[in-house]
Amino acid sequence: MGDLNILYVEDDPRAAEAVRVLLASDGDRLAWEQTGTGGLQRAGAEPFDVIILDRMLPDIDGLTIVSRLRSAGVGTPVLMLSALGRSENRIEGLDAGVDDYLAKPYEPQELVARLHALHRRSAGKVHGAVIIFGSFECHVKARTAFRSGRHIPLSPREFALFRYFMENAGETVTREMLLRDVWNMNFDPQTNVVDVNIGRLRRKLEEGFTAPALETIWGAGYRLTRGE
Amino acid sequence: MSPRSHRTRGRSIFGQVTVASILIAMVAVAVLFAVTTITIRGQTRNALSATVSTDVAGLIDIYATAGRAELLRRIDDRQDVVSLEGRRSHYLVADGAGRRISGDITRWPALSAALSEEGYVTLADGTQVYAQGAKLAPDLQLLVAREYDRDHAALLVLSAVFLGVGAGIVGAVALVAWVTARHLARRMDAVNAALGAAADGRAANFPTRRRGGDEIDEMASHGARLLARQAQLLKAYKQVSEHVAHEVRTPLMHLDSRLGEAMRDHPEAPGGPIGESRDDIRGITSMLDSLLDIASAESRRGELAGLAEFDLTALVTSLADLYEDSAEDAGLTLVTAIAPGVTLLGERMQITRLLSNLLDNAIKYVPEDGQIRLTLTHGPRIVIEDDGPGIPHDQRDRIFERFVRATAPGDRPGHGLGLALSRAIAERHGLVLRLGDAPRGAQFILEPAP
Repeated sequence: MGDLNILYVEDDPRAAEAVRVLLASDGDRLAWEQTGTGGLQRAGAEPFDVIILDRMLPDIDGLTIVSRLRSAGVGTPVLMLSALGRSENRIEGLDAGVDDYLAKPYEPQELVARLHALHRRSAGKVHGAVIIFGSFECHVKARTAFRSGRHIPLSPREFALFRYFMENAGETVTREMLLRDVWNMNFDPQTNVVDVNIGRLRRKLEEGFTAPALETIWGAGYRLTRGE
Repeated sequence: MSPRSHRTRGRSIFGQVTVASILIAMVAVAVLFAVTTITIRGQTRNALSATVSTDVAGLIDIYATAGRAELLRRIDDRQDVVSLEGRRSHYLVADGAGRRISGDITRWPALSAALSEEGYVTLADGTQVYAQGAKLAPDLQLLVAREYDRDHAALLVLSAVFLGVGAGIVGAVALVAWVTARHLARRMDAVNAALGAAADGRAANFPTRRRGGDEIDEMASHGARLLARQAQLLKAYKQVSEHVAHEVRTPLMHLDSRLGEAMRDHPEAPGGPIGESRDDIRGITSMLDSLLDIASAESRRGELAGLAEFDLTALVTSLADLYEDSAEDAGLTLVTAIAPGVTLLGERMQITRLLSNLLDNAIKYVPEDGQIRLTLTHGPRIVIEDDGPGIPHDQRDRIFERFVRATAPGDRPGHGLGLALSRAIAERHGLVLRLGDAPRGAQFILEPAP
């Protein structure tokens, strides 16, 4: 699952240790820098897959670090992890060049899912006209879905969701990713609207089959299973 | 729709000052010209009158002392005399009925000899003269006239000079006024542009102070100081709110992660005490965020920074698509009427938040089998209405206040900040969020502020 090389710039040792343990269990390697200056130097010197940046650092503001990295030509995806979680703070972060913004407190699984999604996005995976994963088939142009060779009738929205899960097959997909990429919305209403939509899709994908199709990752999102 | 940032200027005071200066200069020149002309005309008349009267008196004297024959002889002599002022003389000696006896004037003009009348008259041959009549005897009357064309020509020259000089003065005044006004207007515009930019929340560049400095420089420097002070206050406010958020969130985060670990070590059923505690933690942080968001939206009312035009039709369509299943699950129908091509100058994320809050409320409060209608029309105007229980009449005025929640049967918990935040977001965009007067159910209307 893991195998990412990640840099974490964070002044709170406790938070850094928690993330290190979390990512280690996932198979990723974490390099930790306690100051903004140290983080800036290291990000410029070593190749990382993803950078996690705390926003409020004692020496340099996290937003300044991102701006400096970007102007220095470092394009490594950055996830900002911050106690400032208001939508205004998010906009400031995204404007400064951050690729994703996660507010503390967060679910550990959500952090892992987002880091992997960021890496996938930057790797720019290209999908063919037919995506196959386990028992599922997604015919992108014909906009049709199959499970074990059986056609599953889906509404346009359900198909868009299904396709997104197929493109991110085997990975945890967060609510925020779905809102951003399927509904083109940059705000999470924090209600169960996304879950209700997923519930509909799940029922259609699982109807007549015994193996589950979508599993819920508590506090993080959903993952498409192989359905076998 | 955009928040009204600055009102258009009616008329520039500098333009008005320029026009007023030109008018005053024109009036002054005209008055001076009129006074001069009247004075010169009066003096010319006095001089003509004195000359003619003296001549008449002399001839009367000759008639009285030397008789009629001498008078006629003297008149013949004088007829060809041209005075030093260039005024040619004309005479007429006539009988009592005005018939010519002697002199170069052929017909008696409309002047009474008996009353010794004098004045400007035109002779039969068209010559314009100043004349005076005098009765010498019952059957003899005398008319003495002087031409005044030289005086008239002098007056015309004077008028021409006045016109030229006057035009020059008016032109000079206009030029000076225009140049001064333009210079002042440019400087005022620079100060105005800086203040306007500041009012819209953009970077304000006040003009640099010139050597010495005048009232406009002083105004610009006061403006710059005022803005610096405001920026300082905003920065302090932002710092304090961010630190409060940070300091509250950090221990909550540690608490939450410890509870998360506990939950993994001791799994519990949904709704268990650890899960509930974690929900509470999220509740506290979201309440804190909402309060800060309301304060932030209120402080940025009318500010253009951070606003960008976006496709409102697309956003409302996406929201309708997102909420359709939720409405259906709650046994409700979501009916939409979305006009194409509606855009809004705003923060997309905040408008999404406002609308999803209203849709969440509708889904929460409308009982099963109800209907929610979402309408977007140009303006832009968004109406979210339902056929649920509506807002109790005595609570209509208060539901947009912080920590106020409408109480209804089957009510579910919340902080009572959603509508306060929605209204603050609306106002930050120059919009109003208000309750409509639908006969049943709740009707929320979002539209441009009047």
